[in-house]
Amino acid sequence: MVRFKHRYLLCEVVSDDPRCRLSLEDRVLGGLVRDTIARVHGTFGAASCSIGFAVRYLNAYTGIVLLRCRKEFYQLVCSALPFITYLENKGHRYPCFLNTLHVGGTIRTCQKFLIRYNRRQLLMLLQNCTDEGEREAIQKSVTRSCLLEERSDEEQLSDSGSEEPSEAME
Amino acid sequence: MSNAKERKHAKKMRNQPTNVTLSSGFMADRGTKHYNGGGKSFQAQKQELLPGTSRPRHTKMIHHSPVDPDVNEQSSSKIMFKKKGGWKAGPEGTSQEIPKYITASTFAQARAAEISAMLKAVTQKSSNSLVFQTLPRHMRRRAMSHNVKRLPRRLQEIAQKEAEKAVHQKKEHSKNKCHKARRCHKNRVLEFNRRQKKNIWLETHIWHAKRFHMVKKWGYCLGERPTVKSHRACYRAMTNRCLLQDLSYYCCLELKGKEEEILKALSPMCSIDTGLTFAAVHYLSGKRQGSVILYRANKYPREMLGPVTFIWKPEWTPGHTSESRQLWIWLHPTLKQDILEEIKAACQCMEPIKSTVCILEPLLTPSQEKSQTELPDERIGKKRKRKDDGENAKPVKKVIGDGTRDPHQPYSWVSPATGVIISDLTMEMNRLRLIGPLSHSILTEALKAASVHTEGEDTEKTPHHWWIETCKNPDSVSLHHKQEAIFELLGGITSPAEIPAGTILGLTVGDPRINLPQKRSRVLPNPEKCQDNEKVRQLLLEGVPVDCAHSFIWNQAICKNVTENKISDQDLNRKRSELLVPGSQLVLGPRESKIPILLIQQPGRVTGDDRRGWGSGWDVLLPKGWGMAFWIPFIYRGARVGGLKEAVMHSQYKRSPDVPGDFPDCPAGVLFAEEQAKGLLEKYKRRPPAKRPNYVKLGTLAPFCYPWEQLTQEWESRVQAQEKSPVASSPRGEESNLKREKVPCTPTPEKSDQLSDEVGMSLSSPSEPREVMDTERPAQMGTEWVTGPAATSSLLCVLRSRKSLKQLSAWCGPSSGPRWAAQRAPSSGQQALTREACLSILDRFPRALVWVSLSLLGKGSPEPHTMICVPAKEDFLQLSQDRLYCGPHESKHSDPFKSKIRKQKEKKKIEKRQNRGCTVSEGPAGAYPAAGHHALTLGLWSGPLPDVTSHCSRVLLGFVTQGDFSMAVGCGEALGFVSLTGLLDMLSGQPAAERGLVLLRAPASLQYRFARIAVEV
Repeated sequence: MVRFKHRYLLCEVVSDDPRCRLSLEDRVLGGLVRDTIARVHGTFGAASCSIGFAVRYLNAYTGIVLLRCRKEFYQLVCSALPFITYLENKGHRYPCFLNTLHVGGTIRTCQKFLIRYNRRQLLMLLQNCTDEGEREAIQKSVTRSCLLEERSDEEQLSDSGSEEPSEAME
Repeated sequence: MSNAKERKHAKKMRNQPTNVTLSSGFMADRGTKHYNGGGKSFQAQKQELLPGTSRPRHTKMIHHSPVDPDVNEQSSSKIMFKKKGGWKAGPEGTSQEIPKYITASTFAQARAAEISAMLKAVTQKSSNSLVFQTLPRHMRRRAMSHNVKRLPRRLQEIAQKEAEKAVHQKKEHSKNKCHKARRCHKNRVLEFNRRQKKNIWLETHIWHAKRFHMVKKWGYCLGERPTVKSHRACYRAMTNRCLLQDLSYYCCLELKGKEEEILKALSPMCSIDTGLTFAAVHYLSGKRQGSVILYRANKYPREMLGPVTFIWKPEWTPGHTSESRQLWIWLHPTLKQDILEEIKAACQCMEPIKSTVCILEPLLTPSQEKSQTELPDERIGKKRKRKDDGENAKPVKKVIGDGTRDPHQPYSWVSPATGVIISDLTMEMNRLRLIGPLSHSILTEALKAASVHTEGEDTEKTPHHWWIETCKNPDSVSLHHKQEAIFELLGGITSPAEIPAGTILGLTVGDPRINLPQKRSRVLPNPEKCQDNEKVRQLLLEGVPVDCAHSFIWNQAICKNVTENKISDQDLNRKRSELLVPGSQLVLGPRESKIPILLIQQPGRVTGDDRRGWGSGWDVLLPKGWGMAFWIPFIYRGARVGGLKEAVMHSQYKRSPDVPGDFPDCPAGVLFAEEQAKGLLEKYKRRPPAKRPNYVKLGTLAPFCYPWEQLTQEWESRVQAQEKSPVASSPRGEESNLKREKVPCTPTPEKSDQLSDEVGMSLSSPSEPREVMDTERPAQMGTEWVTGPAATSSLLCVLRSRKSLKQLSAWCGPSSGPRWAAQRAPSSGQQALTREACLSILDRFPRALVWVSLSLLGKGSPEPHTMICVPAKEDFLQLSQDRLYCGPHESKHSDPFKSKIRKQKEKKKIEKRQNRGCTVSEGPAGAYPAAGHHALTLGLWSGPLPDVTSHCSRVLLGFVTQGDFSMAVGCGEALGFVSLTGLLDMLSGQPAAERGLVLLRAPASLQYRFARIAVEV
């Protein structure tokens, strides 16, 4: 089928200020990126990137952001991202920057990458951890994620209609 | 629609992770209350809420979703937001509650949650498609949807699950036999017998079903129209060649008894006013077929039951004395119930014969016996088993005749007082109709009179004893020869229209299958046949002599014998194949069936001046079981077959009303109109509003139904009002004044009194002579009028009095043409169009409708529901200036319902939104409160209709019921009803030169077109 081809940019919002996470919303972020593109690439860049541009997923806890743009102009977006230096919301400015983790053609590949990435992060965290209690907690979450993986494999087998029981098991 | 779309989207997105923001979590009142600050507590909370929280089903991805109220209540202390992807997190309040540092455990928690969400999104299929559909194209394999093992192994299990789901499962194969077994003859007959239990099949059903669009109508399966494109071809066949129709669905009622008793019972049901009745000499002798319109007893001219045709059995028969007569009444199946009840009541025949047991059984109910004998055969399972056991079973019999009959229901009734027996002979006979000039040739070609049995032949083998018996009687033989001679003469006549209308010819013919031509061909009239000119002339002048109308088809026992002893096609073909010289004539000798038939001439167009005799033909009555045996030979001689649509076309070109659509005053007609309206409305609603006409804007109040009663009522009150206030200042009053001046007689004040009290009188006694009324009751009209409409509201009648119709038709024509005047003046002492003459008709038939035919002057082809309107004066002026003037335009009306509909829609939308706000968790199942107000349809007038006559700029006179472009005349022609009051009012108002001009406007158009109105008698 004929479709619009997109590029998905998986980014990570890195900020020192924890309050930055508070103001992380998709509309704010979308506006920010758009403004930056306009600043960097001018009116042409802004216009060409505005078609099909969207924030598809955003997680304020982990700071993961998934941006969508048309395939033809993703390089404009990519190149504009480093120029984001702060996040502005409701009059507050929080310094931060965006770290591009992955560029994919579908949401699915990005999701797959994100799983791998997060798992690696968790393991790194586990290795570097010193505190005993923390270690235990991390261990727990790591195992949970692994368990989840297994379970989701099961879920995959079970049909979509039978979601509720698997949820209850959780 | 949007709801379904939403649901689909929601289903697709159900596994996708939603956004997680901190701000979506906090609410001012809660954040402060439950702030715990530390990572530990956060984790603890999380652990707490992990088990047991049921996931609400969001209908949509919610970005800044307000927290579900129910969830708030349930766990107000813990959960702040939830999302579908499995992400759950605790509260992080407003800015001051932001933790000062980040702990590894929260970090890990967050990652873990995200991993799980993503995992879910990645691993579970999200689209609505089936598993194999999600595979990339190059991995697809044939039969993947059918065979799970063709899929990649990782998907096999999911596919297995999917296939087991009920939705995708194929319907259970109901047929327990294989294709071959199903096709075998015996099983097929069983299946056919089963299928015709609900709706009656004609004998030609299978033939029709292969070539026609079939419809289930009136309890029958009937062919509506051929699947091939054949509108024009069928017209040509009717005009130049021959069109064949199977009219076996027409019902036949038989009345048996003394002549006087039958006539006495039936005479109140018909009126001499509408034409000849049952008692007319020609009909009574059995020489002609008559047609009559039946009313409820003594209710003429109201409460019409329907038109019927009838045949008396001719008196001369060896077996019967003149005491007992037989009368067959043929009628349309929709009318049967009413008429049967009424006739039963009229003859006081209430005793079903079945209960008085079998004295009369043999002569009455061959079909009942048949169905009884067939019943055990139809118990399929048992029979087959028994057969397997070795017991020999009777071969399955085909259902002949009415398959839906209940053997316990009586089909004949006897009157204890008069001895009249009524029986329902529906489907006991076949009726084939041949229309067109070639029908003679086809008949004479296809049918050969039966050979007379001679003494020398051996009589042992033949089952046709009745024929042998007959042949022993020299009288019968000579009669047979006489009939044969006349039948041969028919071949020389060019058109059936030349023979007197309704002529009946009885005949006994041999099996028509025997001399079936090798190929389908077209017969041509044979001019050499008409050498015997003297005899032909005599036949044309006098018609068929009475004794020739006799046929053995009247004898039920013989009919039964003939039906049962029919040689099957299979046997016949086998015998044919055993012939020594292939293709030579098959001679069956005495074993050949002799079939008694009845030929009835159908008069074609009998009204009007042009194309007289168009569409005339012959009806062939056959005993049941023989339908196909005659059908194929007719077709092999070049007859074209038409269905119901062609029948309507035939009646339209004949300008005769079609049963039951054109009888708005009989119950069947009312029912038909209702059904038609329903169908049309459904069809209309199927289109989007932008793609269908807005009838409100077009000023069409009733695009799907005919508001006859309102029309006639309004016309009556309208004329009333005109009479009452001749000097009123309104323009309408002036107009009527002007009109009045043209009328030969001058308006007098007493006139209004006359009219009004006549109206009052006529309600009580329509048939009373008028003089009485004129003198009596001068002044009490006021009160009477008020009660009038309510009293007569349900009584619609159609003017069928021949005298009045003749007068009307004379008035309708333009009186200026010298030819017309010369023709009409001597024919009868026609009254001039005066007020008195109008009133005398009006008071006999208050609120009547008149059947009129219209032909357009110029362009345009009318369609059903076209409005017939009265032209205004300026239209005539324009027409006289410009002969090519098409007609005036109706100005566009405003649509008062549009804004209402929009308001309703908005209201609904708001309700919907509110609903969604509070019942998200309920999901799509939470139905929106059904709109209490009745649904308005855009483009249709809702609620009671306003004044129909004066809704548009031209006054409405009536409606067209049938209309099309006429291929005979080359312009649009229509048939319809107009209000009698309105018609007379219009005619008296028009100048003599332009009398009879009306305007037609199609329901979906604003253009009026001129047409000439004519009342044909």
